[in-house]
Amino acid sequence: MSDLVTIFVDGIELQVEQGATVVDASKRVDVDIPVFCHHPKLEPVGMCRMCLVEIGMPMRDRATGEPVLEEDGSPQINWGRGLQTGCTVRVADGMRVRTTTDVVDEARENVIEFLLTSHPLDCPICDKGGECPLQNLTMAHGLGESAFDFDSKMQNEKHVPLGELIFLDRERCIQCARCTRFQDEIADDPVIGFHNRGRALEIVTLSDPGFDSYWSGNTTDICPVGALTTADFRFGARPWELIPVASISPHGPEGANITMSTRQEAKSGGRVVIKRIMPRQNELVNEIWISDHTRFVHHFADAADRLTKPLIRKGGVLVETDWDTALTTVAEKLQAAGSSAAGLSGDRPSNEDLFAFQKLFRQGLKSHHIDLAASRIAGGDVTAQVGIASGSNLLDLGRGDVIVVVASDLHEEAPIWWLRVKQAAERGAQLVVLNVRPTRLDKFATHLVHYPVGEAVATVRQLLGAAQISDGASDQIGKIAEAIVGATNVVAFYGYEGLTYAETDVLAKSLANLLQVKNSDGHSHVGRVNNGLIAVWPHNNTQGAWDMGIHPALAPGYQSVDQPGRSAAEIYSGVQDGTVQTLFVMAADPVGDGLMNGRGLLDFLVVQELFLTETAKVADVVLPAQSWAERDGTFTNGERRVQRYYPAIQPVGESRPDWQIIEQIGHKMGLDKPHFAASLVFKKGIAAGVPQYSDMDYRSIAKVEKQYPDVGGEDLYYGGTSYENKHGLGQQWTSAAESGDVAMFTVPDVTPSAAGALPVIRTAALYTPGTLINRSDVLSPRMAQPTLHLHAADADRLSIATGDAVIVSVNGQSLQLSAHVNGAAPQGLALINGVSYAAGVLDAKIETA
Amino acid sequence: MLKEKYAKEIESLLARYPEDKKVSAILSLMHIAQKEYGYMSQEAKEEVADILGIDPTHVLSITGFYSLYYEEPVGEYVLEICNDLACALRGADEFIDMACQKLGVQKDEITPDGLFSIKNVMCLGACDRAPMLQCNLKFHEHLDEEKFDQLIDHYRQRAAEGDDRAHEVVDKILIETHH
Amino acid sequence: MIDGIVELLRGMGITLSHLFKKPVTYQYPEEKRPVRYRFKGRHELKRYDNGLEKCIGCSLCAAACPADAIFVEASENTDAERFSPGERYASTYEINMLRCIFCGFCEDACPTEAIVLEDKYELSFYDRASAIYTKEMLIVPVPEGGQDTPQITEPGMFDRSIPDMENPK
Repeated sequence: MSDLVTIFVDGIELQVEQGATVVDASKRVDVDIPVFCHHPKLEPVGMCRMCLVEIGMPMRDRATGEPVLEEDGSPQINWGRGLQTGCTVRVADGMRVRTTTDVVDEARENVIEFLLTSHPLDCPICDKGGECPLQNLTMAHGLGESAFDFDSKMQNEKHVPLGELIFLDRERCIQCARCTRFQDEIADDPVIGFHNRGRALEIVTLSDPGFDSYWSGNTTDICPVGALTTADFRFGARPWELIPVASISPHGPEGANITMSTRQEAKSGGRVVIKRIMPRQNELVNEIWISDHTRFVHHFADAADRLTKPLIRKGGVLVETDWDTALTTVAEKLQAAGSSAAGLSGDRPSNEDLFAFQKLFRQGLKSHHIDLAASRIAGGDVTAQVGIASGSNLLDLGRGDVIVVVASDLHEEAPIWWLRVKQAAERGAQLVVLNVRPTRLDKFATHLVHYPVGEAVATVRQLLGAAQISDGASDQIGKIAEAIVGATNVVAFYGYEGLTYAETDVLAKSLANLLQVKNSDGHSHVGRVNNGLIAVWPHNNTQGAWDMGIHPALAPGYQSVDQPGRSAAEIYSGVQDGTVQTLFVMAADPVGDGLMNGRGLLDFLVVQELFLTETAKVADVVLPAQSWAERDGTFTNGERRVQRYYPAIQPVGESRPDWQIIEQIGHKMGLDKPHFAASLVFKKGIAAGVPQYSDMDYRSIAKVEKQYPDVGGEDLYYGGTSYENKHGLGQQWTSAAESGDVAMFTVPDVTPSAAGALPVIRTAALYTPGTLINRSDVLSPRMAQPTLHLHAADADRLSIATGDAVIVSVNGQSLQLSAHVNGAAPQGLALINGVSYAAGVLDAKIETA
Repeated sequence: MLKEKYAKEIESLLARYPEDKKVSAILSLMHIAQKEYGYMSQEAKEEVADILGIDPTHVLSITGFYSLYYEEPVGEYVLEICNDLACALRGADEFIDMACQKLGVQKDEITPDGLFSIKNVMCLGACDRAPMLQCNLKFHEHLDEEKFDQLIDHYRQRAAEGDDRAHEVVDKILIETHH
Repeated sequence: MIDGIVELLRGMGITLSHLFKKPVTYQYPEEKRPVRYRFKGRHELKRYDNGLEKCIGCSLCAAACPADAIFVEASENTDAERFSPGERYASTYEINMLRCIFCGFCEDACPTEAIVLEDKYELSFYDRASAIYTKEMLIVPVPEGGQDTPQITEPGMFDRSIPDMENPK
């Protein structure tokens, strides 16, 4: 590449890309320049002066411009007059850097001494103690004594809550501004700031609630001292006592890589428990960030009300029983039902669980009546064809590229993607946002379309039409189409906000066709790296559920079946009219979600769950499953990246992994013996039965390679306490478009869902109350409250003001909500938020309570 | 509400900055808010934040950085006395004690009539004329007890005559915006 | 032969002389032998004069312990329920006396001089579980004039864990 420059760091010659800072460049040859304020993901500021180094440039003769040479023929170096900050100086050709000279050492000693003039020596009680950059750098570069006396230390408040999640210790802050810069530059939530000057400087927040950001936990990772700590981990354990276990976030379709720190604890009766969740670097997925949702919603795994023993209904009540009785009962009942038995699964379990589940029905019972219990969004079959190509990285998108986001509020539904899309837009990618209402992404959009209610599909069709004709129409849609077709790379996200399942199917297919439109060079936007479609799935393994064939018409690997079974909707109606007699529900709560009205006319209902959900309460047999933290398995994220997670804690009670329970039932029905491990289910079941997964096994998924920036090593001061990835970057499976042309999709017709006088849609909130999040006390104050958002004009018409209690009747249910008139809703559309999912545009009745 | 009361001024202030840099108007807006509320109250911060579409934390941050934005209520006339080294050598500390005693208040307190408060500030750049103070941006130099008495009387009289709050900076901004 | 008798008598004389000397035998367990000043016996967790515990639950003793005999779990102090100065106290503190080798590294590691190897040496157990000394067993009684923990304290009185900070020597 032409934009490489050659520099010499402590005599080591290296070539780095132009624009890199001296600190980052030196890191490439393992020369560690200590830093506090610098962070490889943030813009350099040069505030802490820790990175002072000697920098020299080859001299040139002023008159001739020729290099000045020493007697031995080497270039003469002008070392300048003083030290320079390595974090703000960008590399230049021929640059010399000296990091180990006496004058550099002295500068470092002085900076450390200065920082310690007002840093308390309470490392013994500090949560950062043991993984603290200041501590480590003091040991490495500190003088060991100080010219200042301890009486001159500032005594500041040590317990300042910045909201319920993050605590500030004012004494410990060294004013590096990493947290405020992170919130400003990366999270776009500048809700914390500096206040006052000099030694009186402190971090403040005025937002309501305090430190109101979904990313607040990350500031504790990058804080180079123990000034910011999370409420969840405060004094939880010393870092060296924790055992790190690699895992994958069980929330959201992004598949964020995490590390669970576990410890055996007396408080928890001697159990090994998860003490904290930290990010694990995967530059392809979540870089080194995780949302607070991922960080704090882990308490469900240790919840006191987890199911510990199988339950069986005797004399009308559920009583505890042993596994053998429960499994035998289920096997007999299922076998008796045979091909009429139906199965519903959630989209949270692992690929192994889902594969075993469909195998039990398809092979054991010859039944295709399996589906996801709650399908919000269609298109797994579409992403299998034209999904984002393998090898893609959203980090690579920038100038010349286009990102399309349709009908999704990424900030609430998939925060990591929101972050990456926003950053791509900041790098120069054109962002096209199509939605029915304003979202957090609008601010970064190059092209913004707020389509009228119910016209999502029509708008995308229009866009497709404009792209196919490419008549250079100068209207907005024409311009967007032109931008998309002409872009170098295009990634399209589609969601389900305000849409029905059928509408999302049309959306997926229209977008797929849009991506397939070839530009003048004959390039389309499918099957190429950094191009393709991404569905904003509601859960962590919805993609995996499609791949594993949790679908009445699609067997594993999207092979269509001859006689499709009943869909979830048909199963629910069958339960009511008695045509479905036997039902197996895994990791889903259709009764609690209002999809199934009690157990209807079911003869036999078996539920496999973590908790005694509403559905479990009416079941005949309840089987206790293990949560993701107790076992290993794989999830497939929305970019079709298959990633492995590892067991962190001991099983709760007698619970077993889902796949094992299902295979044991199958064994009792005469199927193969259960596998010994999830890895074997993957190898012998999934890799053999799902063509897309045939080149994968647990080893290939667990492969790692060197990632840059070099974060997570011993030098915590550089990137914070995000863990190094030693357990796998995952493997993306190849979409059909990569191995050959795919045909244009036939886009079905769909009638937009009906709208009443004032149409209502349900919008997502990251902290919507639910089975898992409700068990995380630390997040309970942040939980999304049931709210109705109205436009001022509509509110006037209905004479509703902010704060009024209203009753909204949706789908026969009446919801108690609090009204907000604040610009979140466009005119003519009301939004309901913080309530359970409801599809499409709702015909709702709004009354004042 | 500032938005209504100073609509014209705010509009003309905002008009000075390009569309994506409206935040630059923050200092002037804060002067207006301070004129209205007397100090940067919670309300003041929230209103400024609301006008600029930023988080109130940002306004708080700036309030804390500049010493001419007050975070606590102050008197009509703020007597800001420097006692940095040079001034201290010329008796600024004693002068502050004397002033506090005269007015019967401690530092950062307001006199019961709401007219005066005394603040201890860093260098005002008039070391050679110390002891000195700054009252609502006006310097009063070479002070002693007698001159201080005269000064207080002068301001008391001005207040009695119905002098408006003398935040000249603000008035300057407002005058400029009118033109 | 005479020489032999003399030697024999001398030997017996020494034995006889001991009859009249003060015996060195201690009638243990009725009578206990005092220990030396630097004897390293069973640990004690110390208190300040006001009754607050010195231990802040920092777990450095556990980190220093070569036998992995110490287990500490910390919790947060509040003014309404204060165990030790500062924000952190040991809610669980256990030493497995079967593992302990009485090396005293825990004493050295302790930033608040909370754990001290004292003079108690009677450490025998009927089973392994009773060899684990809990915080209740290790902590010294409340000194006279002090209050038992948890205490209710004035806000701001005890907000620092390590009361006297000194220049590292």
